[in-house]
Amino acid sequence: MRDLYQRLSLSPEASEHDIQNAVLRCPNSALRQDAESVLTVNEHRAAYDTLHHTLNDIGCLRARLGLTHGAHWQGDVANDFSLPPDHAISRHDELVDRVSSAVSLYNRWQRWRGPWLLVAMFATGAGIGIVMGFALCMGLAAG
Amino acid sequence: MSMARFSPFELVLLNSRSQVDTATLLLLAWVLVHRQHVSEGQRRRRLAQVTAQFRHGHELSPVMSIAYSQDLQAIQLAAEILRKECSQERSLSVLHQAITVATDDGDLSLANHYILRFLADLLNVTPTTLSTLFYELTGRPLASPEDPSRDAYWQQHNPGYFSQKAREAAAEQQARDEAAQQAHQKNQQREQKKQRKQQEKQRQQEEAQARQERERQQRDEQNRERAQQDRSRYERAQGERRQWQRTSPPPDRSTRALAVLGLPPGASRSDIRLAYRRMAQLHHPDRFFTESEHQVALASARFQRIKNAYDYLMQTY
Repeated sequence: MRDLYQRLSLSPEASEHDIQNAVLRCPNSALRQDAESVLTVNEHRAAYDTLHHTLNDIGCLRARLGLTHGAHWQGDVANDFSLPPDHAISRHDELVDRVSSAVSLYNRWQRWRGPWLLVAMFATGAGIGIVMGFALCMGLAAG
Repeated sequence: MSMARFSPFELVLLNSRSQVDTATLLLLAWVLVHRQHVSEGQRRRRLAQVTAQFRHGHELSPVMSIAYSQDLQAIQLAAEILRKECSQERSLSVLHQAITVATDDGDLSLANHYILRFLADLLNVTPTTLSTLFYELTGRPLASPEDPSRDAYWQQHNPGYFSQKAREAAAEQQARDEAAQQAHQKNQQREQKKQRKQQEKQRQQEEAQARQERERQQRDEQNRERAQQDRSRYERAQGERRQWQRTSPPPDRSTRALAVLGLPPGASRSDIRLAYRRMAQLHHPDRFFTESEHQVALASARFQRIKNAYDYLMQTY
């Protein structure tokens, strides 16, 4: 399985017109024949695109997990679908970080719950008093 | 500290009693999603069947929907957990489950070829182990995946399209042939007409030329007579030397050619041939190939001169 889009320097979302042009301009006759029978026929292209998408996913996963030189990743597939490592942080570490920060937030809330509740009650009372006083003033002025 | 919300799979993981089991569940669901010709209900039942003794303790449907959406980050997380927390025996059993899930009815889809190999690499399983395991489970060797980026794959899997294309091409070719034949016939007719026209024109031209020729001959004769009279007068006045120069070709060229061959003027044809043979043997560049390149170049120049002289003499003598 080769990445025909990459070999024809196209994007996977290229229109039929672009593909036709690229196929006609391709100097390698074998590649031209393959691209013609795969990419210019709609049903062939759909099947090819599905597998192409899956292989792109696998290439991305392998790059992030450090498996780009595995024993099962060889030949055309490895040549065309291996990505450079993108220094994405390990998902598991990220999950652990997020859980620990959520836990510390929860603990802090539990510790400061009493004072925060007092402050909140005072603020709500003051707000309600201000609104009522404002309404009374407006009523007096209207009357 | 990242402020993003927890993704669905992370929530499932946090709810799970066994993270490894949940991760395995997602990867098996991923394999199942890439199996062809299976309905969604069948997939779910198959997954429940295979993972009957797992200890995850949550619903299967959220995991299945994550697998359907092909969430790359979730799959990466599952793969990391699996790699981190899997023993050697456990990894073999995971691979075993993946192979059974991928090939219940026989055919391994192309995507699953690559997914199984990815899982094998992830779990540190060597290719020989994977192929033995595959052979034991399915009774067939693990072949290398077919290549849908090639013409041959589609020739084999969709011969209808190619036969139709061939038929269309044949029809087009036939139409083109017929058109070409018609054009050819038309061309022939046009050419015949043209030829007839040309012949007429030629005849007319020839007549005109003949007339002109006759006129010119008459004029030439008059001119020549006049010129001869002039020249005889002129020659008488100028003397004989000028007339000798005007006559071509100059005779000294053949004497020079004879000198090149080392012959006196007035040598016979057989003498010339003999002299040429001797000179050619003497000065042929192949005699000098052991010497320097410069010598060979000089010899070939000499040989060329001799050959030119001989050719000239053979033409004129």
